[in-house]
Amino acid sequence: MEIAYRHFSRVDLLAVSGRVDAASAPDLWRAIEQLFQEGRYRIVLDLAHLNHISSAGLRVLIDGRKRARDWKLTDLEGGDIRIANMPPRIREVFNLTGLTDLFEIYPDVTEAVGSF
Amino acid sequence: METMILSANLDALAQISLFIADAAEYVGLDDRTTWQIQLAVDEAATNIIQYAYDPDCPGHITLSWQRNDNAFTVTLQDTGRGFDPDEVPPPDLLSPLEERQVGGLGIYLMTRLMDEVHFHFDPQYGNVLTMVKYLTVDETDDTAVLPINGRLDASNVALINKEAQKIIERGVRYLIIDLCNVYFMSSSGLRILLIIRKELMTLGGELHLACLQPHVHEVFELTGFTQVFTIHPSVDAARHALRNQHK
Repeated sequence: MEIAYRHFSRVDLLAVSGRVDAASAPDLWRAIEQLFQEGRYRIVLDLAHLNHISSAGLRVLIDGRKRARDWKLTDLEGGDIRIANMPPRIREVFNLTGLTDLFEIYPDVTEAVGSF
Repeated sequence: METMILSANLDALAQISLFIADAAEYVGLDDRTTWQIQLAVDEAATNIIQYAYDPDCPGHITLSWQRNDNAFTVTLQDTGRGFDPDEVPPPDLLSPLEERQVGGLGIYLMTRLMDEVHFHFDPQYGNVLTMVKYLTVDETDDTAVLPINGRLDASNVALINKEAQKIIERGVRYLIIDLCNVYFMSSSGLRILLIIRKELMTLGGELHLACLQPHVHEVFELTGFTQVFTIHPSVDAARHALRNQHK
């Protein structure tokens, strides 16, 4: 797994590529938690080059989104983890595990970043 | 048939995935089937590494595959703690995010991605997990088109749902609903589309909508359902998208 960071003024973009399995999932969690510690709770995950995700990775996404959404800037604005560029195989895992409707999923990074 | 013996630690997962990819290429499986087997084996191996052996005293996993007639079989054997799949709680697939429990997803995925999953304890060999993928399913039988005429509202939702259920029972997992000739859609029409979509998703499939007329498209936009459904300009475009996805 590789993670590329890009900071925007309001949003952080993490491009996650390769494999997120039980071996690499803790690294993904640390990358997300690092942003939380810096007070950055608006995150877009670009999954365009993610080839594999197992349940260990799904757990990180679920726990991460829960944490992000606990953070509130105002009543109307808060944190979230949103997804861009979901490959068909990853979408299939999301569908099978009932996650598709739990996340905001955007066709590309521009839309996902702009959604905040 | 081929066998590989690995030491049970998480760094072996990538190697296991490559072993399955090589096997799948050797027997000529398509990309999607290969991916399904890889993910199921990844989940199985993760369980062994994390739960069968103590972290400070890792043992071995013996991984082997076999192709016979119309099935691809993978076996994982370990000598760690015994395992009763019935003790794992069923996964939570429906709760909202705040309450969503994340346990049990691995075993659930194994059973959804493979056609047979058997756990067996042998006093001599230890835990033996056998997973089988049937190779007989013709991809073209996986997809179907359901055309609807006139309207989709309370007057015909029951009928349309019945038609959809018949198609799903036949083994179809990718359903394209052709809305070219639908000029009116009510909230009960939208609701039945959501129900069919959810059902297909939990079966590992998808609902695709094709050819929305301007009025119907407007209903979808107003309700935000253009974000929820996968919508194609025509049935051909939907078929094409699915073919690309299946490669």
